[in-house]
Amino acid sequence: MALLPENFSFARKGLPLVAIAGLVIAALFIWSGLPDRQLEEPERDPPRATGALANSARVAGAGVVEPSSETISVGTALAGLVTDLRVQPGDFVTRGQPLFVVDTRAIRSRVEESGAAVGEARAAIQEAQAAIAEARSAESTAGRQLALYREVDDPAAVSRAEVIRAEGEASAARQRRELAQARLSAAQARLRSAEAQVGSARTELGRATVRAPISGEILAVNIRPGEYLSTSAGGNSQSFIEMGETRPLHIRIDVDEEQAPRVALGEPAIVSPRGAAERQVKASFVRAEPQIVPKRSLTNSAAERVDVRVLQLIYQLPDSDGTFRVGQQVDAFIPAKDGKTPQASRAEAAR
Amino acid sequence: MLWIAIRMLTGDKQKFYGLVFGIAFSTLLITQQLTIFVNLIERGASGVYNVPSADVWVMDEVSRTTDVNFPMPSTALDKVRAVPGVEWAVPHLRAGASVRTSNGDLEGVSVIGVDDATLIGLPRRMAQGSTDVLSTPDSVIIDDVGTTRMFENGQSPIGERLELNDQRAVIRGVADAVPSFTSQVTLYTKYSRALNYVPGTRNRMSFVLAGASDGIAPEALTQAIEEQTGLRARTRDQFAQDGVDFIIQNTGIPLNFGITVLLGFIVGVAIVGLTFSLFIRDNVKQFGALKAIGVTNRKIRGMVASQAGLVGLIGYGLGVIGTVLFIWGFSSNPTFKGFYIPWQVPLISLAAVALILLFTGWLALRNVLKTEPAAVFR
Repeated sequence: MALLPENFSFARKGLPLVAIAGLVIAALFIWSGLPDRQLEEPERDPPRATGALANSARVAGAGVVEPSSETISVGTALAGLVTDLRVQPGDFVTRGQPLFVVDTRAIRSRVEESGAAVGEARAAIQEAQAAIAEARSAESTAGRQLALYREVDDPAAVSRAEVIRAEGEASAARQRRELAQARLSAAQARLRSAEAQVGSARTELGRATVRAPISGEILAVNIRPGEYLSTSAGGNSQSFIEMGETRPLHIRIDVDEEQAPRVALGEPAIVSPRGAAERQVKASFVRAEPQIVPKRSLTNSAAERVDVRVLQLIYQLPDSDGTFRVGQQVDAFIPAKDGKTPQASRAEAAR
Repeated sequence: MLWIAIRMLTGDKQKFYGLVFGIAFSTLLITQQLTIFVNLIERGASGVYNVPSADVWVMDEVSRTTDVNFPMPSTALDKVRAVPGVEWAVPHLRAGASVRTSNGDLEGVSVIGVDDATLIGLPRRMAQGSTDVLSTPDSVIIDDVGTTRMFENGQSPIGERLELNDQRAVIRGVADAVPSFTSQVTLYTKYSRALNYVPGTRNRMSFVLAGASDGIAPEALTQAIEEQTGLRARTRDQFAQDGVDFIIQNTGIPLNFGITVLLGFIVGVAIVGLTFSLFIRDNVKQFGALKAIGVTNRKIRGMVASQAGLVGLIGYGLGVIGTVLFIWGFSSNPTFKGFYIPWQVPLISLAAVALILLFTGWLALRNVLKTEPAAVFR
């Protein structure tokens, strides 16, 4: 124990020192070990009402971006294989521009077929006309012969039998002419029918090409050349081509029916896309849908049954180079009619 | 004179160490048990404290704690957002689910769905990986204590595949979180994905987490939210207290720990009281002699007080350091994850020690003060 002073007493001096040191260490341990329960700001910006709306009456809603024409699912008039696809997603098309073509081989052969029938009918007409001309000349020859015989007064000069033969020839020639005329009109009718068939085949050919119903942007192309399209598609199956007018874009905001009476219709809304709350824009009011509908799930859950009904409000987005895209979810804040909450006004009414 | 008292005290080694041991033991018992008690019931609030950024929790009127909740329709979020004074509000889903691990075991988990865009609702820190992993498909983040329960032998959970409600889930991160009261495995994922992982009911959203605007007190905001939406709103501290109260009301923990703390106190009183009065009785002659040479009762009181003070200081110090060593030693054990010593607890045990010493000292002094100086001759 050379390290310690001579009269060092462990119990009197050592232990108290140990105890005090222990207490100091304990105090430090306790102080540093206290849990960190400080509130902190969220790392990423959540959507928030800004500007005048920040501390005034407002209604919030979630919505989706849609084309101002709403999304058009382009269908096909004819079933068949896709042979030609003329557009890509993102293309801007004008009204009437071809989008895709279904297989036209059968229709083209029908065009050719009915074209041949037209030629055939034309030939038959010519044939009938030639027959008419031949019958006419035979008829006139027979007529002249008969007239000649009739002018002869001497009964002995011309035998009775000769006259009868000439009369017969004349009437046979007349009948041949009538028959040929009937054939001509039949051939003409065949021609008209064949021409009509050509016309209908041409129309089919036109129907095989699907054209843009409006000017707008192609949003989705779900078909590829070689795929078979059925006209009965629709309902729950995927649409072939989706398009819509994306200049400008609209948003459809769902507002809970309980909050719906508070919405100040006509006022612009503050809108931000999911995940980019700091990129807020002001959207101008377009209209409120006349019907209150069951809330469509925006949560990707397949089998959500909801009895919550919502008022759908349509707002027009300003030009926003790519911040908003069709189908994107947005958070919106809309000014409320007056500063009163439903509860507050109820309480006031009770008074 | 006080130094004489100290020498008198340490002169009898056995009794001195007996006294120190008595105080140290009851301090240890009281401090350690109170610490564990406080930490255990605060597990009821861990769900609230794990979310570092929410000022206010909004829930259905009948919801009680983070785990005892009744889901709301999804438009409740918009209702809360419409309340003036709400800076932001995000959805929060908490629900139980069963998970099948890759080796076929079944494990009950609680699934927490955090806001898709902002990830508000995740714990403050990550133990492994970053919160960005939630952007990859089917990914979940597991809590660190859950990892030890679900994966034995220190196997890394990263990349493990689970099956939740017939859906694939891949663990891509480990969160540093305080476990819940039941230490259930917790899986954090995005709200929209959590909807798929939890078997569906009509309403799914358990909570709306809201932040108060600058200059608006959370208490005032809860009132505004309750008035305007008809939902129940609690501030963070209120809701944490709700969780603690729930455990106090529904378990026997307070009674159990209360009994242990009382036992600590009684053991302290018994050991210290007995030893102290024995010690004083043995030294009655010395006190008599002191009285005979004219030492006043007041001086004697001071002497006994200094003896008690020294014993108290040493015993208390050793007891507290014992608790600290205990908590420190077990800090790496998942069962004690997040345990800390609340600063009030050592003060409570200090008061208890003071009470023990006052009581026993008073008992012992009664004899001394009555002592005649003549006692020295007996």
